[in-house]
Amino acid sequence: MNGKELKHHDCRNFIPVDVAKGICNVHKQMVLIDTPVCEKFRTLPKCKNCAHFTSDPNQDTMGTCEAEKTKPWTFADLITVTCENYSAK
Amino acid sequence: MPKKIADILKEKGIPINFQYGGTAPEELVDREVKKEPDPRPKKLLNLYFDTLSSATVEFPYWYTRKWKELEGDIPVIRRATAMKYAFSHLTPTIFPGEKLVMGKARYYRGSFPMPWESEGYFLAKEDELYQAALKKGSASADEVSKFGSGGGNVTKSFGSVVSIAGKFGIREEEVPALIRLSREWVGKSVDDLRSKYEQMMPDYDFKEKIMRSVICMFESGFTLPLGREVINYYYPLQYGFDGLIEMAKERKAEVAGNAGGDGVIGMDRLYFYEAVILVLEGIQTWILNYAKEARRLAAEETDPTQKAEYEEIAECLEWIAHKQPRTFREALQLIYTIHIAVLNEDAISGMSPGRVGQILWPWFEQDMEAGRTTEEEVIELLELHRVKMTCIDCFASAGVVGGVLSGNTFNNLCLGGLTRDGRPATNRLEFLILEAGIRCACPQPTLSVLYDEKLPEDFLLKAVECVKTGTGYPAWMNNRNAIEFLLWQYGREGMTLEEARAFSIGGCLETSPGAWHELTLNGKTYEIPGGAGQPTSVGVHFLANPKILECVLFNGRDHRTGEQVYPAHNRKLETYEELWEVYKQYYEMTVDVLCRANNIQHDIWRKNNMSIFHSLLKPDCLTKGHHIGNLGIRYNGTFNVESCGTVNLINSLAALKKLVYDEKKYTLDQIREAILANFGFKTAEEVGNYSLVTQEKKEGGEVWDDIHTDCLLAPKHGNADPYVDAILKEYEDWFCDMCTKYESLYAKPLYACQISVSTHGPQGAVTLATPDGRLAGTTYADASMSPYPGTDRNGPYAIFTSATCWDQTKSQNSQLNIKVHPSAIKGMEGARKLLEMTRAYMRAGGFHIQYNVVDSKVLRDAQEHPENYRELMVRVAGFTQYWVELGKHIQDEVIARTEYEAV
Repeated sequence: MNGKELKHHDCRNFIPVDVAKGICNVHKQMVLIDTPVCEKFRTLPKCKNCAHFTSDPNQDTMGTCEAEKTKPWTFADLITVTCENYSAK
Repeated sequence: MPKKIADILKEKGIPINFQYGGTAPEELVDREVKKEPDPRPKKLLNLYFDTLSSATVEFPYWYTRKWKELEGDIPVIRRATAMKYAFSHLTPTIFPGEKLVMGKARYYRGSFPMPWESEGYFLAKEDELYQAALKKGSASADEVSKFGSGGGNVTKSFGSVVSIAGKFGIREEEVPALIRLSREWVGKSVDDLRSKYEQMMPDYDFKEKIMRSVICMFESGFTLPLGREVINYYYPLQYGFDGLIEMAKERKAEVAGNAGGDGVIGMDRLYFYEAVILVLEGIQTWILNYAKEARRLAAEETDPTQKAEYEEIAECLEWIAHKQPRTFREALQLIYTIHIAVLNEDAISGMSPGRVGQILWPWFEQDMEAGRTTEEEVIELLELHRVKMTCIDCFASAGVVGGVLSGNTFNNLCLGGLTRDGRPATNRLEFLILEAGIRCACPQPTLSVLYDEKLPEDFLLKAVECVKTGTGYPAWMNNRNAIEFLLWQYGREGMTLEEARAFSIGGCLETSPGAWHELTLNGKTYEIPGGAGQPTSVGVHFLANPKILECVLFNGRDHRTGEQVYPAHNRKLETYEELWEVYKQYYEMTVDVLCRANNIQHDIWRKNNMSIFHSLLKPDCLTKGHHIGNLGIRYNGTFNVESCGTVNLINSLAALKKLVYDEKKYTLDQIREAILANFGFKTAEEVGNYSLVTQEKKEGGEVWDDIHTDCLLAPKHGNADPYVDAILKEYEDWFCDMCTKYESLYAKPLYACQISVSTHGPQGAVTLATPDGRLAGTTYADASMSPYPGTDRNGPYAIFTSATCWDQTKSQNSQLNIKVHPSAIKGMEGARKLLEMTRAYMRAGGFHIQYNVVDSKVLRDAQEHPENYRELMVRVAGFTQYWVELGKHIQDEVIARTEYEAV
């Protein structure tokens, strides 16, 4: 993942207000999700950042969770702060 | 320049006025009472104003993942486990400045689809499944329902945001997951299964035609299966979640393997108690995840005040996740948490908090006595509660959320009423709730006064002060009427007078049964009310009364769709009695088929998608060991028949009776021709406005002037005219009795429910011109007792006479809305006049009255310049909504209502 792909809703400091914007908890101001992130960026746990995530070769926003026996499908942007199996890449 | 009807009427000197009792001042007049929210709620309310309705698939993803894994298990266990998994995995978000926390989803105004209810409309328009869904009758209401394009509605996609169901934005990154989730529920959702089994009804095609014609607005079994009811917070407030889990474990051990004398469902108790434990554990984890988030934020926060607030939040949540609340703040946080948890269990509108001032009284009283809080602190918390409740969005189809609800969620908080032993139930906390409603004007929770002659004058005047803010709340509900109705409907289920007094309003104005509970706090015992009935306004939803008359006049045919909806009656309709007879036949056929279809829908829902958390909150599920579907709840005769457009029907019948049958001035064929010609006017869709007054004449349309004038001048409801009042009485006597002939899936009789919510917009849109002179596509009169705009010429007391010509206690409700210019009720004298007017209606037997205190010129200006009116609220029909979030049909109708310049 390079810096250009990162969005504010990939950041642990971001408080999501709605689908377009949220509050940066570092700078204490409203930011649009789809604008460049800053140097204070901290990775938010999401499936795409998890060691157990295998991306679907045909659709990279979708994938599989390898942590469970049943290998359920999942999606890259699923937030996993509450997932007991999350393991940062 | 095409002529507008207003000009034509003026030229003809027809007394159709949109102002009564004088002329409004030329300048824009603001509301007299205006206060500001306290700083903290103001900041959070401002954040709301700038927030989009946002959907996420987080909850449905985790729910579906676990549901699939448990294939083959018992449905209630499967559902409870999936629910636990979903609650446990929701991402907690806390917004800076909040004291009350948690939400349906991670966004500030977040919600999510529930594809296990219905999956079709989640799919993209080009998707084959969506196209298939469109062919279903239930999609028809979606096509004619319009959202307001302002406020937080995401009516169009933009950037990385995709608009779904006409109102909600979803991140494009989540759309593939939404599609995949939707596909996984194809053939399994309540919607798909009901479709399969409804087709086993011999008259299924007839039912689908009814839906396509929008004679019926929607079906609830797969859209809004719960709601329009009163929640019950008692058990967690008394025992805490740990206590409830302990209780369920004990009961589980007692019933395991025992039928308990019930060979049909006795064994189900084991699974229910296990499901209760699972769901409660999930909710505890959900709360504790928020506590952890508060701790995390506190650890990272540099501002000491904010840091301390995060820590307070964490302490509060860590306590209420397990135990009975200790303080008012904890109790308020707990009831809000319970509320949101119920709303996450199912698609729900109108889950009303009930008599919160009486429920939270023990904590308020003890905190005040101990000096732990002040009234100002309590008001601030109540304002914060208002903001959080306003942030609630209900995710359902466009036809339901837009066409029926206008985006509203109907969390009705009631004040007043009586105690079990018949004393006024008002208390000091209820004054503070009103004050919070005045300061922090926002749609939720809407407020209602359960008006009783015994209520103290100072309390009633405080309620009037709130009305004068123009928020549209509180509405006034007749306590005595409601009690009489409840005893009539629920006496057969054992309701006593004392228990009837525990009622509250569910949704906008659905009288809902309640129960009293003994609550102990620090050794002191109190009695608090809570909901004790199943959802109401589940049943037959919003029958378009004038549209059915249209079908009678045109031999069962719907001219809009071109379909033969009803079997042709082939009657000449030579007498009024014959016309009325055919009307009743068509109507009863409609109720009959919809009732059976609805029973199938709700039966599938109760088998596969039953409520568990919602059930355990209500008496007597925990005692009996049964959820709602197994009749665990105390009162089950809650299904009803809802009507819409009553006043246009009555006015039309009066016009036909007078012009065709009594005076024989026109033949029925002449009336039919005039209707098909829309009395020489363009359609409302062509004009782009949906109120009568702005309609434009077609070229050459003057040939219909005479007949149109006569139709408009025929007797109209709301003028104390015995001619038309007798027709209303005949209709009501029949309607209220007719509903009881039909039986819900719970084998209880249905009853009448007479509210319009927003359905008078879309249902008016599909109806041709009507014999009362209303034009094609324009909205019906709102509510059920409100006069058609501009036709009430004799003042409010004449409206009261007309509206109370029938026994309103035979119906769950009736609805009357009046628009009052702010200058008409100015000062204490104006306040007293408003109270006396309200009192007069209640004494005459009216069930509900509500006031829109607004200058119509403000509304017109707001329609032209919505950007200046983000905070403007109006009362529609049983609910208050932000002006900019209303569809144009409804905006036009509210503008057109008669404005009272004096009361």
